[in-house]
Amino acid sequence: MKQWLKLALLAVAGCSLVWPVWRIARALPPFGEPTGNYGPEVNRLGPPLRHISNMVSAVNFDFRGIDTLGEEFMLLAAVTGTVLLLRGIRGEDTSAAPDIIAGRALAGRAESTTVICRLLGPLTVLFGLYMAAHATVTPGGGFQGGVVIASGFLLLYLGEDYSAWRELIRSHIVAALEGGGALLFALAGFLPLAEGHAYMENTLPLGDFKDVFSGGLMLVENVGVAFAVAAGFTMLFLEFMEETRSLEGDGDK
Amino acid sequence: MQLVPLPVALPLAVAALLLALAHVVPERLPDIVATLTALAVAAICGVLAVHAALHGELVYWFGGWTPRPEAVLGIAFGVDLASACIGSFIGLLFAAALLFAWGYFDEVHAHFQVLMLLFLAAMEGFSLTRDLFNLFVWFEVMSVVAFALTAYQLEMPSLAGALNFTVTNSLASFMMLGGIGLLYARAGALDFEAVGQAVTAHGSDAVAIGGFCLLCAALMIKAAILPFHFWLSDAHAVAPSPVCVIFSGAMVSVGLFALAKVFLQIFGGSAEAHFLIRNLFLSLGAATAVVGGLMARAQRHLKRMLAFSTIAHLGIMLTGLAAMSSAGLTGLLVYFVGHGLVKGALFMVAGILLALRGSVDELELYGEGSGLAPAGIAMALGGLLLGGLPWGVMDAGSRFVSDAGAAVAGPGTEAALMAGAVLTGATVLRAAGTVFLGLGAEPDPEEVGSPSAEEQEKANRPLWLMMIPCGLLLALALIPGDVAAKIGIDAAQTFGGASPAGPRPALPSALLSWISTAVTVGLASYDLLRHRLPEAMAQAISVVSRAPVHALTKLHTGLVSDYVIWIAVGLGCFSVVLAFG
Amino acid sequence: MSVLPWLVAAWLFGAGIYGIVSSRNFVHLIGCLSVCQSSTYLLLLGIGYRWGGVVPVFYDHPPGTKAVDPVVQALVLTDIVVGATVTALLLAMAVQVDRKYRELDPQKLRPMRHEGHQ
Repeated sequence: MKQWLKLALLAVAGCSLVWPVWRIARALPPFGEPTGNYGPEVNRLGPPLRHISNMVSAVNFDFRGIDTLGEEFMLLAAVTGTVLLLRGIRGEDTSAAPDIIAGRALAGRAESTTVICRLLGPLTVLFGLYMAAHATVTPGGGFQGGVVIASGFLLLYLGEDYSAWRELIRSHIVAALEGGGALLFALAGFLPLAEGHAYMENTLPLGDFKDVFSGGLMLVENVGVAFAVAAGFTMLFLEFMEETRSLEGDGDK
Repeated sequence: MQLVPLPVALPLAVAALLLALAHVVPERLPDIVATLTALAVAAICGVLAVHAALHGELVYWFGGWTPRPEAVLGIAFGVDLASACIGSFIGLLFAAALLFAWGYFDEVHAHFQVLMLLFLAAMEGFSLTRDLFNLFVWFEVMSVVAFALTAYQLEMPSLAGALNFTVTNSLASFMMLGGIGLLYARAGALDFEAVGQAVTAHGSDAVAIGGFCLLCAALMIKAAILPFHFWLSDAHAVAPSPVCVIFSGAMVSVGLFALAKVFLQIFGGSAEAHFLIRNLFLSLGAATAVVGGLMARAQRHLKRMLAFSTIAHLGIMLTGLAAMSSAGLTGLLVYFVGHGLVKGALFMVAGILLALRGSVDELELYGEGSGLAPAGIAMALGGLLLGGLPWGVMDAGSRFVSDAGAAVAGPGTEAALMAGAVLTGATVLRAAGTVFLGLGAEPDPEEVGSPSAEEQEKANRPLWLMMIPCGLLLALALIPGDVAAKIGIDAAQTFGGASPAGPRPALPSALLSWISTAVTVGLASYDLLRHRLPEAMAQAISVVSRAPVHALTKLHTGLVSDYVIWIAVGLGCFSVVLAFG
Repeated sequence: MSVLPWLVAAWLFGAGIYGIVSSRNFVHLIGCLSVCQSSTYLLLLGIGYRWGGVVPVFYDHPPGTKAVDPVVQALVLTDIVVGATVTALLLAMAVQVDRKYRELDPQKLRPMRHEGHQ
């Protein structure tokens, strides 16, 4: 099909959708005045029933916990898939020599970079741990904290020699942490099942409102998610970074 | 009932465990563990099905969040007979595929088995859930795993096919999310029943019908209905055979299953939804069947041919849904299982040819199939079943669907559906004859250059090992139609809460099936023996059929930009049809 | 305007679709897919917003203060994870395509070289 014909077809389709979009936009409840009951009920019932103050975490780990389980495993699936795709040609070996791109100079690392990264890397990891641990009281949680922890590890990569970084971050351990975190989450759901309640029902002691250790089963799920997300994103960084190394011999499969 | 979360939670836990221990497990263990898990899931769903048949639908609230008077706060799984049976079938198909893939994916430290278990869990969740966003989450997990598995071969065709698959299905998930957002804005809830009540209470409403259109478009992209079907042939042609078994056998059909659920449980009371389905889906289904059949005939790459035949059969299933009657729904459910079994077996035959003869091109394999007699018999039987052989589960389903379609839209629909089935069945028979018996004209040596890159699959498994799951699936497909019909009718009665309109349907007569089979065999014979016909006659016939097929083939460019344009056109069709409602 | 967020969401989706259709670079296509996705974020978060509502975290405000909808925020959290995962997969595919074939133009990436039987 000619290019102009394709774009014309797209334009016609687009035009036929303008009126319905306008009608739907007019028919939706006005912005700022939602009509549903779900959100207000969660806000009303969360603190007394579950003793936690972060309602988003409550929805994520308690009210709609099975959704978060699925989401966690989707992350696992994507990381596994990416590993499968990237290691398929490269193989399992790691290489310390950087890949040379013709015409681009290979600059060394400045000392200031190393210093700043050594200062900020551990601080970032610490901040990520803080964010993950306070899931039930302040904004944050396993997902958010996990990503911050992973970016802390990335800062360490920026500051260190590649082989030193690879010695520090071993892919076997990272994979085990990822699987272990997801397994912890799944097993946390089985605990109430074993006691005769519904899957993922919050049957652990709930703690005090505004305390770090409030929320019961949510804390366990949160720990699982934090490990799995941190390890998952670190694994992604690892795999993509390995792509910048030169292949030893033919990477053929 | 404590078993309900297990079909989802068990494969997830086992997958996480396998991943955590990936580097220390001995070599065969992941295969064994994964196959056993799939069988366990099938068994659990079977128990749930029996329970649903005896005691009616079971609704299981996760986290103990049973509905409150002000709002429905939790997520539920609704286990009725249909969902449990489909869940059991999916588990069985996975067990067969994992058995077939034994030893296939050796070098990857259990990653393949992990992905397959996640796929299984997602499909089980997708079939059982009663919550809109939960449906989306399992849809996404299914899709992500499928994207990764499609690109596995890492050759240009696999990567291009995976790109097409990923972009189109990601757009589907965004549309689904948009639809869910609109429905949430209207209903303030995400549970099917709660949203359904809100939609019915609101009457004619642009937001609700807009949400319905987006959901339908998303699920139809997954189910590969015209004009959203383009990605399927690309993805199937390049994915590994065990994965194709799952794609064609269950993944695409489950999209239509979810569409039926969403329609019946949420939009059963919406007049616009009924209008859209009656006027658009029926024609789309018939068109998909015919186009799929014609394109299948034009293929020489066996997996791509089977992919187009899947598209045709999904068009037939959509017609069953669009009829909106008890018979149509029964047809949909029975056809799901029947088609899945037959198509799974056929993809296994393609995998056998790829592993043992190193090619999947019909012309390149001319006569090479001798020595693989069991595979040849399986392929011929599969072709006959696709073409309408009046025995077994698939035939029962297609009789119900044709009957329902004719009742709503006249004999034209029946003819279109039969055309689709005949074209696909004849193509598979033709391929079987060419490959295994060396019938048909000797291909021109110049033409024998595979249209895709060199394909190979591991040849380390003996024929008998690969034939076991194939034979098992075909044996199940040959379960007498009456048994399948009885279960299907019961399942359709309780599907979607209220029973659909009309009295209990009965299995229609086999007349159309005999006609269909006869035409299939006739067409296949013509294809295989054409070179013995007088030149003029063969020329005349081919001139007539060549032009439309050539035009259709030109439209299937393989470029992702074209596919996205067709998705936009499809959405435009929805809005145009609704404008007349 | 009370319909502005919905119109902007629709516009973002349309712009993303146009970008995908006219893209000549695989990585640009992945970016356009992200643009399509951000329209869903806007739609969902816009649906949950409440004038004068606070963050649904009752640490500084007492429980019972009018707050925005936490459910859509949780949904968007899932959506973001979905986006990140699909982007990672697509980028891995892009890396492989570039490494093996030195070609990143989607208009030149076809699964089959040519079609046809007879």
